[in-house]
Amino acid sequence: MSTNHNKIRPVYINLFQIRLPASAISSITHRLAGIYIFFITLPLSLYLLYFSTKSYNDFMVLKDYINNSIFLSTFVAFSFLVFAYHILTGVRHLLQDLHIGESLSASRLSSYLVFCVWFLLSAFVFSRLLT
Amino acid sequence: MIGSTLFYVQRYSAVYLLAYTIWVVSFLIVNNPLEYNSWTAFTNQIYFLVLTSLAAAVSIIHAFIGLWTIGTDYFTSRTLGFLSMSFSKYADIIRGAYTILFSLLGLSIFAIILLTIWS
Repeated sequence: MSTNHNKIRPVYINLFQIRLPASAISSITHRLAGIYIFFITLPLSLYLLYFSTKSYNDFMVLKDYINNSIFLSTFVAFSFLVFAYHILTGVRHLLQDLHIGESLSASRLSSYLVFCVWFLLSAFVFSRLLT
Repeated sequence: MIGSTLFYVQRYSAVYLLAYTIWVVSFLIVNNPLEYNSWTAFTNQIYFLVLTSLAAAVSIIHAFIGLWTIGTDYFTSRTLGFLSMSFSKYADIIRGAYTILFSLLGLSIFAIILLTIWS
């Protein structure tokens, strides 16, 4: 057995000491968005589906409730924008699994493209929401 | 074998959920602003019930693989040890509790979706 170990090798990984490239940021935020979707967006959509199909009254109450509260409408819009983000970064990953855009430069470009598309989509949604 | 199966299940479920989402979102865009009658006509059709039941099952499987991957990547003695040394000893317990928590939540969401749309 070799005993020539490097004594100062890191035993634990300090995630904050690693500087991530754009493609890694899109990957880690894809995971974070996935967690958000499972714990927030999915139960929220279930809640919306349940009350919007329950009765005409419940549908109108829900609609008024969301339209009249800037907090609620922002929360609902944000939750579905997170879902949109997960889809955008997910499609990028699926294309890479098909060996499309796998090179370093293409991967960097597509991450920035995904960020831009999502920011434009968010700007569009919030401009519709606030007017 | 099991690893590549999970890999393909994750990708194919993603494609199904993408197609399902495009279908529902295109309905919502065409019927904007949404009215109760057109919405319930849409959600009461047999296509919606079957495809949504499938989407519920598929999204729970997709979420399970994704969250399980996150657990085995980040809730380990190595990564938790970076937060605190004493924490890292309980990594297996923390990961186990986390796995049980999201599994139970996933199964209950799946059950409630089926109860909601089929009633």
